[in-house]
Formats: sequence, structure tokens, C-alpha cells
Amino acid sequence: MSDAHISVRNLRASHGPKEVLHGLSLSIPRGGIYGIIGPAGSAKTTFLTCLNRTLQLVPRASSVGEVSLNGIPVSNFEINDLRRRVAMVLPLPVGLPMSIYDNVAFAPRMVGMHNKGELDALVERCLTQAALWDEVKDRLDQLGTKLSGGQQQRLTLARALSTEPEVLCLDEFSIAIDPVTTMRIESVLVELKSEMTIVLVTNLLAQARRIADRTAFFLNGNLVEEGPTEELFVAPTDPRTHDYIHGKFG
Amino acid sequence: MDTHPEAPLQPNAVPAPSSGSAADGVNPADAHLGTRRRTESVASLVLLTATLMAALPALGILGLLIIRGAPALSFEFLFTMPLQGMTAGGILPAIVGTLWLVGVSLLFAVPVGVLAGVYLSEYAGESRLSRIVDLAIVNLAGVPSIVHALFGLGAFVLFFRFGTSILAGGLTLGVMTLPVIITSTKAALQSVPQSFRLASWNLGITRWQTIRHVVLPNALPGILTGIILQVSRAAGETAPVLFTGAAFYLPVLPDSVFSQSMALSMHVFALVTQVPGLPDSMKYGTALVLVGTVVLFNSFAIALRFYLRRHRKW
Ligand SMILES: Nc1ncnc2c1ncn2[C@@H]1O[C@H](COP(=O)(O)OP(=O)(O)O)[C@@H](O)[C@H]1O
Ligand SMILES: [Mg+2]
Repeated sequence: MSDAHISVRNLRASHGPKEVLHGLSLSIPRGGIYGIIGPAGSAKTTFLTCLNRTLQLVPRASSVGEVSLNGIPVSNFEINDLRRRVAMVLPLPVGLPMSIYDNVAFAPRMVGMHNKGELDALVERCLTQAALWDEVKDRLDQLGTKLSGGQQQRLTLARALSTEPEVLCLDEFSIAIDPVTTMRIESVLVELKSEMTIVLVTNLLAQARRIADRTAFFLNGNLVEEGPTEELFVAPTDPRTHDYIHGKFG
Repeated sequence: MDTHPEAPLQPNAVPAPSSGSAADGVNPADAHLGTRRRTESVASLVLLTATLMAALPALGILGLLIIRGAPALSFEFLFTMPLQGMTAGGILPAIVGTLWLVGVSLLFAVPVGVLAGVYLSEYAGESRLSRIVDLAIVNLAGVPSIVHALFGLGAFVLFFRFGTSILAGGLTLGVMTLPVIITSTKAALQSVPQSFRLASWNLGITRWQTIRHVVLPNALPGILTGIILQVSRAAGETAPVLFTGAAFYLPVLPDSVFSQSMALSMHVFALVTQVPGLPDSMKYGTALVLVGTVVLFNSFAIALRFYLRRHRKW
């Protein structure tokens, strides 16, 4: 457990009076892609929001238990510092209503980076990493909201990378985009996993199987099992995992 | 099939002969279709009538004002002092006074109203307190202007000892416009999709930075429209300035916010009720200038909305 990048112990989370995450413990190793699968409503999103403490933005939501990053409880971080370290890509693409350039330069500017040269380099690097640079390099001043859905999701990814996060969380990033873009983002993630830890919540079993190094199966707010992806898919130890990956429910 | 274009305007007319198959006996489906068409045309007639009933008086008033008031309009009328107990001369002090009053009201109501709107939309959340404040503001917006006038008299003229002055009148107008500015600011902010805020918060951008750089710029059109509409309301109301800031007849320009001044709305009221035997054109002319000012502000708001709708960012 010494090399855990994120470790979670006995994490409980509630929406109002209803507990939805029931004392979950998990450790996510440094580097690589950590996949999380499970039917809708199994608290995958709630789990992610505990990692960068965006759960506290949800009205009436609360959590107890320990989540730590590099061994330090996330509650000890200054909240916005934490969110720059643990980046989040939400299910639906969001181009902010500003230029493509500004979308990516926004977060760095807000922490005081104003040097044009540095910003230019950063914008180019993030857009390149997100496999969007070639498509938009000649129209960086165009509105981010006017890009296609697939492009906006890559813009969202580029923006998430702009804070140079150490953990990149993605919550079902492919539900609203086309298969070609999905594949491109998947290969981007595979390239990025040597630089950062990626937590990939996905509704596509095949996606987890293709790119996740380890996979965890969540069900109704509990961790059923987790392990190296191939093992989990080929020889699950829990019959519920077996049923889920063979399409028997969910 | 009903092919007569004028048919919808004559719901009682004999049904137009249907083409072809109708002669072979009425098809029930066709009959049903016919009923629906008739309902449709009656509905559009009723709606058209209602629209005309709403628009005609407004156009009528404007027409009357222009016909009767336009002859009075001249450079002199707009830019000189009233003379001989306002039976002659111009209305300059009333125009200037209205500008002062509206200016003071804006200086007060815009910062307070916009900040309160921002607080209610972005910070207050869903607490019971914020719902009570909300309800209070909505109700305040419905308070008659004469009540605001009495409040202004009590608070600004007497309690704060501003006396009858532009300051007291302007603040009274400000208090009157405040609830709507708060509500429209709040509505404009809430029309900015929540997903923008979430995306920004997820980047580690602070709440205030998010408001400042994402929410406000995109709500600005709505906020401005709300403000401009309140400006025209402030310019047009008589009651709030009646006992707080406006003078009947004061043929000098105000020199500070502690002066009294004339005001357009008040001047119309004064000309009509206090000055017997005045030529009609002066009354109508003054009213025309007042309405013109209001229309000017409103068309500015409309133009702004048009412009911004074309330049929507999402
Ligand atoms: N904002 C919310 N308010 C109330 N209940 C919620 C809210 N968000 C999620 N839940 C509930 O929490 C449970 C877990 O949801 P979620 O974390 O979104 O699951 P998943 O991402 O796996 O689909 C579900 O039962 C859901 O109904
Ligand atoms: Mg989810």
C-alpha cells in the first residue's frame, strides 16, 4: 500500500438522509489508469466528487471517512489547490462561453500566470495532449461553446490538464460523444497515464477492459471487488461481478 | 379542404365547399379536422383582438401626444427656463431635474441591487432565510409608488434630514426600483447554466473568480436590461418625488444633490392641475418629452437585447 496515490478508508457519503456510499475502502496506485465500473446509481460519481471535494457543492450532501492524496488527507488541502491537483472531466462536454484559447488559459490566469509566452506554450501543450490542437490551432479566438460535442469534450480535457494535475478523474466522458472521438480520447489517456494517475469511471465495460490497468466494480455504494483489469474480467471472484460483466443486470 | 384564405377571419361564414370527396358523404375524419380548423381560427382571432386591445391604446396615446405636443417642441422649449409661473418659456429645469433624480437613484440602486442579486443567486443557496428574503423582495416590488413616497419622506427627508432634495427624491426612486433590479439581476444570473459554474469550480477557481469571469459577463445583458427598464420607471413616476425632491416651480438649475429641483413627471402633473388656462400644447409637449425619454431608454434596452441575442455565447 506504500505506493498508493489515493487511499480511501471507510468512506461514507450521503445525499440528505440517504446514505449512498457505505464505508468504502480502496487504494489507487500511482500512475496508470484505474477503471471504475458499475451500474447507474452505484455511487461512482459520488465517489469521484469525494476525491476533489466537489461533493460539498451538492446541496444537502455530506461525507465521512478518510480520503488521502499522497498520504495527506484531502481535507488538509486548501480546497482550490486540491482541485487543481485532482482534475475532473464531467460526463457532458462543457465549453465555457469564452474563446478556445481562454478556455485553456483560464485556470492558469486565475492563479496569476499572465506571461503571454508561457500561456501560449501551455495552451498549445494542453490542446495537443487532448488531441485537439490540429483542429483548432487556426481559430483559437473562436468561442469554445461553438465547437462540436466531441471537440468540446477534448477542450474540456485540455482545460482539465491546464492545472497540471497529478490525478485526472473522468466521469463517463464518452456518454455524449461519438465513437471516433471516444477512441481518440482513450489513446490520449493511455499516453497520459505515465505522467499522472487517471481515474476512469465508465459505463462501457469494453472501455475499462481496453485501457484500465486495474478495475474496481461498484454496486449500490459498495466496492464489490477490484484488481488487475484482465483478472477481474476473466476470473471475477464475486458472482455479482460475474453477472454484471456478462450483462445480467445494470 | 378549406382553400379560402379569408375563411379564418369569418368564423360564422357558411363552411366553404370541400373539394371532391365531400360530395360522396362526409368523412368523419374530415369533419373532425374541420372542427379543429374552426377552433384554430377562432383562437387566432381572439388572440389577435386581445393583442390589438393591448396595443391600440398605447399607440393612441402616443399618437395623441405627438399630434398635440409636437407643435410645442422647439429648441427653446427644451433648453430654456420656464417663465411667468410656467405659463411660458421652456422646461429645461424639469429635464435636468429628472436626469439628476434618475442619476442619484441609479448610483444607489445599481450597486446595491446588483450585489444583492449576486448574493441571492450565487451565495445564499436554498436556506429558509433566503426564501423569506426572496418573498419579501417580490412583494416589495408590488408596493404602490405612493407608499415608497411616504417611506422616502419619513426616512430620507425627515429622519436623515436630507430635506426635500434631489438626494432624498433620488434615494426614494432608488428604493422603489431596487426590488426589480434585484430580481432581474438574480434571474439573469440564474439563466447562466450551472454547468459553467461546475466546470469552473472543478478547475480550482474560486467562487468569486467564477462569478467575476464566467457568470457576470454572461449575465450582464440581462442585468442591464433590467436596470434600463427601471430607469424608465424612475423617470416616469410622479408620486415618489412628490414630497421628497421635486418642486412645482423652481426656474433654476440644481447645483447639488441637496437642492430641490423640478422633474418632468411632476411638471406634467403641475401643468395639468395647477395652471389654469395654459395652452394644451405645453402640457402635451411636456408629456411627450417625458414619454420620449422613457421610450428612448426602453428602445436602448430592446436594442441591447437584440444585439446580445445575436451574439449569444452558447
Ligand atoms: N444530488 C443528489 N441528490 C440526491 N440524491 C443523489 C444526488 N446525486 C446522486 N444521488 C443518489 O446517490 C446515488 C448514487 O448516485 P451516483 O453517485 O450519481 O451514482 P452513479 O454515478 O454510479 O450513477 C443514487 O441513488 C442517486 O440517486
Ligand atoms: Mg454517475
